[in-house]
Amino acid sequence: MSEMKKIKNLKEFSTSADRFEGANLLCPGCAHSIIVREVLNATNDDLVLAASTGCLEVCTAVYPYTSWDASWIHIGFENGSTAVAGAEAMYNALKTKGRLKQPERNPKFVAFGGDGASYDIGFQWISGCMERGHNMMYVVLDNEVYANTGGQRSSSTPIGSSTTTAPAGKVSYGERKNKKDMVSIMAAHQIPYSAQVAPNKWKDMVKKIQHGMAVEGPVFINAVSPCTTEWKFDPKDTMHITDLATDSLVFPLYEIIDNHELNITYRPKNVVPVEEYMAAQGRFKHLFKDEYKYLIKEWQERVDANWAYLQRREEARV
Amino acid sequence: MANTGWDEFEIGAMLRTFEGEAGDIAGTLQEDRNYTQNSSFSASVADWRIEKPVFNKDFCIDCQFCWVYCPDLSIISRDKKMIGVDMDHCKGCGICVEVCPTNPKSLLMFPEKDDEEEVIAGWPEKEKKEK
Amino acid sequence: MAFDKVELKDIEVWDGNFAASQAMRQCQIDVVAAYPITPSTPIVEGYGNMKANNLIEGEFVMVESEHAAMSGCIGAAAAGGRVATATSSQGFALMVETLYQASGMRLPIVLNVVNRALAAPLNVNGDHSDMYLGRDSGWIQLDAYCPQDAYDMNFIAFKVAEDHDVRLPCMVHQDGFMTSHTAQGVHTLDDDTAYGFVGEFKPMNDMLDFEHPVTHGVQTEEDWHFEHKARQHNDLMTKVLPKIQAAFDDFEKISGRKYNIVEKYDMEDADVAVVCMGTSVETAREVAGEMREKGIKAGVVGLRVVRPFPFFEIAEALKEVKAIAALDRSSPNGAPGMLFNEIAGCLINTPANPMLSGFVYGLGGRDLTKKHLVEIYTQLQANVDAGKLTTPQQQFIGVRGPKLSFL
Repeated sequence: MSEMKKIKNLKEFSTSADRFEGANLLCPGCAHSIIVREVLNATNDDLVLAASTGCLEVCTAVYPYTSWDASWIHIGFENGSTAVAGAEAMYNALKTKGRLKQPERNPKFVAFGGDGASYDIGFQWISGCMERGHNMMYVVLDNEVYANTGGQRSSSTPIGSSTTTAPAGKVSYGERKNKKDMVSIMAAHQIPYSAQVAPNKWKDMVKKIQHGMAVEGPVFINAVSPCTTEWKFDPKDTMHITDLATDSLVFPLYEIIDNHELNITYRPKNVVPVEEYMAAQGRFKHLFKDEYKYLIKEWQERVDANWAYLQRREEARV
Repeated sequence: MANTGWDEFEIGAMLRTFEGEAGDIAGTLQEDRNYTQNSSFSASVADWRIEKPVFNKDFCIDCQFCWVYCPDLSIISRDKKMIGVDMDHCKGCGICVEVCPTNPKSLLMFPEKDDEEEVIAGWPEKEKKEK
Repeated sequence: MAFDKVELKDIEVWDGNFAASQAMRQCQIDVVAAYPITPSTPIVEGYGNMKANNLIEGEFVMVESEHAAMSGCIGAAAAGGRVATATSSQGFALMVETLYQASGMRLPIVLNVVNRALAAPLNVNGDHSDMYLGRDSGWIQLDAYCPQDAYDMNFIAFKVAEDHDVRLPCMVHQDGFMTSHTAQGVHTLDDDTAYGFVGEFKPMNDMLDFEHPVTHGVQTEEDWHFEHKARQHNDLMTKVLPKIQAAFDDFEKISGRKYNIVEKYDMEDADVAVVCMGTSVETAREVAGEMREKGIKAGVVGLRVVRPFPFFEIAEALKEVKAIAALDRSSPNGAPGMLFNEIAGCLINTPANPMLSGFVYGLGGRDLTKKHLVEIYTQLQANVDAGKLTTPQQQFIGVRGPKLSFL
């Protein structure tokens, strides 16, 4: 095992030498790169990275430019997880055979994918990787929509959100299904660690990433990634929206260890009404019409119920 | 680069980030790295900006909020101190200004064409909190 | 070495699948990521059994689909090491997306394809539909006619694919069941000789070289894509066949077995020739001999290399032939067959002016009988005697119902 990077406070964190580069093509204010930076800067170990097709991938490796300072691979939309699993298998093989070029290094294998690539098209591939026990981390950049292709619904899109394939209209309030609970589904693969993170809570993020990199076996991380373009808010407000997401408990921050130990890792001092979170985003604008206001109420009830559920699980250690 | 013929690049559209050996990248700051022309570090997105952040070090407390939340690696911090903004990589999103906790803020957005010295000379006063 | 070697007999009785498994073991592959599908399953089972008995040191990853199998192979190959897998039919079809990605990223993966028909209707038996599906994917495609070939072509595949001047993935095709499940005597190489032939893997642009980080799988749009695809085509067209020939020459030195890019049998003075692939080559050879006893100068041309297509070698093999039959074991579904088209293409701008007939045969594992081949040769000779085509250019043989012919 390599030594864990010591990050006591933000000043110490700021001495990190980023291994991700600017002049990528992500939208101004995109949370993806904030998350990627926090993940990569959580360790000083060598990295082998993969990305599934999506915003992050198409904005960071457009020939002749790459924004990656560590080895990185993209194959397709569904298989970022399996790409890094294959690389991990090769690492193990070359280690056994004594053919690693730098055997003293201790690389971490990390794959990134959007919610479309992870909740939908790549679901089976991730499931396979988790089940097989590769020593890898999979990070979802969850912006609840196919943002790269212009805002189509995914199975992470929440109820009432207006997307281009499930738009709000005269007889539609937008998305009709609630989002999939990927953290639990992945935890149910009996993996050692799964967690939900948010870029505003950088310390919680770093702690979880470091925990995930330290354990043996597959790790699943779901990172909320507010999308200025598809959630329809001003680029400068990305962190404000993230604060609303975590403090309204729409995105509660927690971890599940070995599929039985759930810990809530952030308890907002002042819980923000879900309505406030929704009002700050254009994708929910139509819900503030009289005929749809019941949906906001239902949203609040659902968020409350989920928070109560998480607390019960935490208390019961299940 | 755009004139490069089919026989003039590496097979598989593979790109390298660094010239020669990379060494301990996680322990090497950007200015000490030997980037290739293929690293986006060598590129600029300055022309994306409509407004630019201006840094006024007089009010900065080096909290590093702007550093951690900058999506574009454009806040340059060295030895735990905020030094300035990398104007080649800043897209002008304005997150750094929003997360700046000082009063007055140490970073503010101004139209791209504004003169930096002039805007710093006219920096706003500390806002009094209403009680 | 932590793993055990195997003392093989000089001649082992193996089917094509087990021959491929044994070759894979001897090549000391670093990562095999695989998924089972009939009829290639025994390759994966055989390999898994060897792994379970400490005959393999590399990683063996049983994934959840063929798409994941090739995805894992791509990740592993980009990381830098020897990689292979096996599949058939529907599994191959599921893999197709990643086949293009593997070749476009210039990763030297070896894929054993045990040829099988494509549904619908579902069918587990051998035809060349999957092989044909892969023919524009940018892979090298080698064709085995029997278990011996399936064994030998694996060594050739690694040797050529991993060559730094090539760096292209390579398929080794064998006929489902007819080769894969038919046990024959296979002349073996001892473990050291076999590994010595393919040699230790030499990494290139490997992700696990932390001193030289690489980005694999970039996006290129209209300003770059064409150049990269052109580069790949150029390398397939100019570099691969000479490397295959060199590998065949080297292989002959260690094995005594001589392979050719285009296999010619009784072709020195042939008036009529059948061009085909897989197990059909052996049947055609036998019938050609019998036709010669009847006074018909019959020959056989077998493709050993399907891609890159041996354009000049085929033209050379057929330049003196008066009537040719192109045998396609895949439904062209609305066009002449692949072999018909390719042969026509390589002869059209030459002085040769043969009569070319296309035959679609053997779909879904339907036998190609000696009787069928007698019919074909007889027809070709009739064309020669008449000095013109006496039949339509595309015929189905071995199918029930009224005679089916087109064009």
